[in-house]
Amino acid sequence: MKNILNENVLIISFGLLFLLLGCNQSSENNFNESASIGKTDSLLVNPLLEKVITVTINPKRNTMSTLYGNDIAWNYISSHSDSNYPKGSKLYEVTWFQQSDNVWFGANIPEKILKVECVIYTGLETSSYELYKGYPLKRVVNIDKKYQERIKEIASQRFAVVP
Amino acid sequence: MKKIKFLILGLLVSFILIQFIKPDKFETYTAINENSEYNKLLTSVPDSIELIIKNSCYDCHSNQTNLQWFDKIIPINFVVDSHIKEGRKALNFSNFDSLNSKQVSAKLFYSLNKALSGEMPLPSYTLAHSKSKITNKELQQIKSYLLSISERKLTDSIQIVKNSIEYYQLLDKKIKQQVKPTLNGIEYIPDYQEWKAVSTTDRFDNRSMRVIYANDVAVKAIETGKINPWPNGTVFAKAAWAQQIDNNEIIRLGNFIQVEYMIKDTEKYASTDSWGWARWRGDELKPYGSDALFVNECITCHKPVEKYDYVFTAPLNLNVLNSSK
Repeated sequence: MKNILNENVLIISFGLLFLLLGCNQSSENNFNESASIGKTDSLLVNPLLEKVITVTINPKRNTMSTLYGNDIAWNYISSHSDSNYPKGSKLYEVTWFQQSDNVWFGANIPEKILKVECVIYTGLETSSYELYKGYPLKRVVNIDKKYQERIKEIASQRFAVVP
Repeated sequence: MKKIKFLILGLLVSFILIQFIKPDKFETYTAINENSEYNKLLTSVPDSIELIIKNSCYDCHSNQTNLQWFDKIIPINFVVDSHIKEGRKALNFSNFDSLNSKQVSAKLFYSLNKALSGEMPLPSYTLAHSKSKITNKELQQIKSYLLSISERKLTDSIQIVKNSIEYYQLLDKKIKQQVKPTLNGIEYIPDYQEWKAVSTTDRFDNRSMRVIYANDVAVKAIETGKINPWPNGTVFAKAAWAQQIDNNEIIRLGNFIQVEYMIKDTEKYASTDSWGWARWRGDELKPYGSDALFVNECITCHKPVEKYDYVFTAPLNLNVLNSSK
């Protein structure tokens, strides 16, 4: 009886030790959560899942932007130097504040999202513009009347060419 | 009692005699007196910054080694010798004057990051050489200096024209070129731009911008929250372009610099921390390095992020909102 008890104590002890070691081995995920789209953000699609067209940095404002496009937009701009995006193209310019990279002094990475701008081509030379800002991101109803200029700026960006 | 005395005496004599055993060329290390003037090695760097580097790094990373008396005792001298040999091979401040300003800056940023991660100076070294520890104040001094030399500057008009020409050439390239595998035998992976991007980086230290693309396996790992360790089959492609700063001070992509890959395979790449490392440079996509040992450079650089499975990039969490509402 005593032996069985000792045996059980031994098994439980090893089990606990194993669990403890197991816990120590599990490592934390290193997601950049603050720069991601959150559950409470009022976006219809997650632009971060689209393909990258190009990136820009505005050092004065301490921001960095990535222009994403859906397949129609991406396929067009990756082989054209003009910005005559075809019908069905969707562009998403996501702008983040920058933060210092805590694993590399000399680098900045995205922090929280400042705004998301969507340009949707509903027809030839017809496009709509949506702006999302705030925490959580919400569609801005009263957008600047000069938004057509902003569409031009967003659409005029060149593709990030590689060999 | 007599026997013990003889034994102690014997051990003492043996200890003195073995002190004549020294590593090859141990005497050739330049013994400089701690209090004497040292030869300035970093001519473009202020004296105050060089003094910090000298105190913490020069013993192993320059030809101006200052051996302490205890460094010369066997068997410590063999450990010291290997540290100096490896240290000089990895980074030798005595060779800095042959480098251009970009290379000097890159190596200083690299060295500072090694110090910030606590990897350098080696804890075993500072244990015996307490004066070599870098204080937080000194780290701050180096940071301020490096920030001052990496201020953003407008790109000159000739370079902007060159970037434009390159853009049109690459955009028009209809036939994909034949790319040689890297010297560690990794084949080039085209079409990585069709993958999802997990982050972007503004590298003001070397004036480049990077997009980090991830293949479907990596994206799936992100969706399921299992990225540490990353699963086998994960591939990252990190493409880098020079920063082009226009008159309106917006930074855009300039010329293409390189693309690097990390390919996870715990069996195939067991000897290189479970990752296959690859880099192709320039528009010709030339495999990096002169031999397969270039991977040591990758591994050494990524060592401080071992806790994140050697991946520097903190990926965007793509899982939170992944479909139409």
